[in-house]
Amino acid sequence: MGGPQGPADELDAARSGIATLARPLVELRDVRKSFGDNVVLTGINLEIERGAALVIAGPSGSGKSTLLRCINGLEPIDSGEIRFEGRPIDYSGKALASLRTEIVMVFQQFNLFPHMTVLDNIVLGPVKAKGVPREEADRRARALLERVGIPEKTDDYPADLSGGQQQRVAIARALAMEPKLMLFDEPTSALDPEMIREVLDVMRDLAREGMTMVVVTHEMGFAREVCDRIVFIDNGEIVEQGPPDEFFRAAQSPRAREFVDKIIHH
Amino acid sequence: MAELWEVLSEHLPEFSSGLWVTIRLVAFSFVIAMVVGTLVAALRVAPLGPLNWIGGVFVETFRNTPLLVLLFVSFAGLRRAGVPIDPWVAGTASLGLYTAAYVAEALRSGVFAVGRGQIEASLSLGLDYPRTLRYVVLPQAFRTVIPHLGSLTIAMIKNSAIIGVSLLALPDLLHQARLVNSRTFATNESFFWAAAGYLLLTGLATLAVRRLEARYAIRR
Repeated sequence: MGGPQGPADELDAARSGIATLARPLVELRDVRKSFGDNVVLTGINLEIERGAALVIAGPSGSGKSTLLRCINGLEPIDSGEIRFEGRPIDYSGKALASLRTEIVMVFQQFNLFPHMTVLDNIVLGPVKAKGVPREEADRRARALLERVGIPEKTDDYPADLSGGQQQRVAIARALAMEPKLMLFDEPTSALDPEMIREVLDVMRDLAREGMTMVVVTHEMGFAREVCDRIVFIDNGEIVEQGPPDEFFRAAQSPRAREFVDKIIHH
Repeated sequence: MAELWEVLSEHLPEFSSGLWVTIRLVAFSFVIAMVVGTLVAALRVAPLGPLNWIGGVFVETFRNTPLLVLLFVSFAGLRRAGVPIDPWVAGTASLGLYTAAYVAEALRSGVFAVGRGQIEASLSLGLDYPRTLRYVVLPQAFRTVIPHLGSLTIAMIKNSAIIGVSLLALPDLLHQARLVNSRTFATNESFFWAAAGYLLLTGLATLAVRRLEARYAIRR
C-alpha cells in the first residue's frame, strides 16, 4: 500500500479539503454536561457554519454559558461529541491550548490582566502562544486598538479604562489571535447602559466582516439586527432555533413565546 | 555613653567584618528562598497530584523543623556522614530553604487571590498551564504578597543571627559581638552595636519593600 497513486491521491486530498470547507465549522452531537447532580446540558445538537453569527438566548441558568465554555474546552463534556473543522476536540493539554488559539472567548467581566498595559494584554497570546515576533504583534495590536476606537490607550493599565473601553480591549485581545471562531459570554452584562452601544457596535462590525461568532446575550436588539440565527435554550436543551425575525414574530414553542413576550414587554 | 562609642571605635574592624558576613549570608539565603519558594509554590498549585505532594512534603519538612536543628543536621550531620560540607553552604542552604517554605506558602495564598477569570482568560488565549502560571498568575501573586514577603525577609535577617552563634561559627555580626564582649566584658555596648547593625539591615529591607509596593501595586 501507499504506492505512488499520483493524480488519484491529489484528487482525494482536494476532495477532503473541500469536504472540510463544506462542513460546519463546529458540530455538537448529543452533548451532555452535569455539575454533580445538576444536569446543565441535556443532549445539545448544534451546527455553526463558517461566517455565521449566532445568538444564544434563554432564561438565566438555562445552560447558555456552559454551552459556550464547552465549545472552547473550558468545561469538558460528559458525553457526546464536539467537532471543530471536522475533528473531535482533543482534551489533552497541548491540543486544547492549540485549539484555543483558533477559538477565542470574550468574557462578561472582561478579565483583562491588571498587571499589564493594554498593549501587553493584547500581544501576550500572539507572542507566547503562537510565537509571533514581538514587533509584528505590537504593530498589529496598535492597528486593532485603532479598529476598536481607542488607539490612545495603548500604554494605560486596565484600571484606567472605563468598562466599555476594557471590553473593547478584550475584543482586540481576542482578535489579535486571528481566530476562526469568537465566543462572547454576555459581553455587555457588566456594563453601564451608556457603554453597551460602543461594545455592540464593534461586535456588529465584526459580524458584518464575516467573523464566525457565537454570542450569549440578553441584548435582543443586537440579536434582531445582527445575528443570522437565534438559538433558544431552556433547561439545558435547544428548544427552538431560527432567523431572528421569525423567532421574534412567530416563535413556535410556548417556552420561546413566553420568553419573547417577557423581553419585549419588560 | 562615652563607653558606647569607645567600644565601637576600638572594635570597628570586628563589627564591620561581622556586618559584611551577615549581609552576604542574608543575600545568598534570600536568593535561595525566593527561587526555591517560587518553584515549590508552582508545584503546590500545579494541577497534578504528585507535584502537589512533593511541594507539600518540602513545605512541611522545612517549616516544621527548628532552624537550629536544620543547621545542626546540615552541618554536623552531613560531616558525620562523611560529607565535608562547608559551613557557608550549610548555613545559607538551611536559612534559604527554611525561609523558602514560608515564601512558598505566601505565594500560594497570592495565587489563590488571583481570580478564576484571569486563569480562564489566559487559557482562552491558547497559553498552556505553565505559561499561564508564569505570565498571568505568578506575577499577580507576587505583587499581592510583596508586604508578606517583606516580613519574611526581615524575619530571615534576624534568623540569620542563629548561624553565627551555632556550631557553624560563621563570623557574622552576632558572632563578632560575642567575641568583643568576651574580650572587653562590655556586654551592653557589644550587643547594642549588634542590634544596631541588624536594625540597619531590616530598616533597609523595609524601605526596599515600600518602594517595591509603590511600584508594583496592582490597581483593580
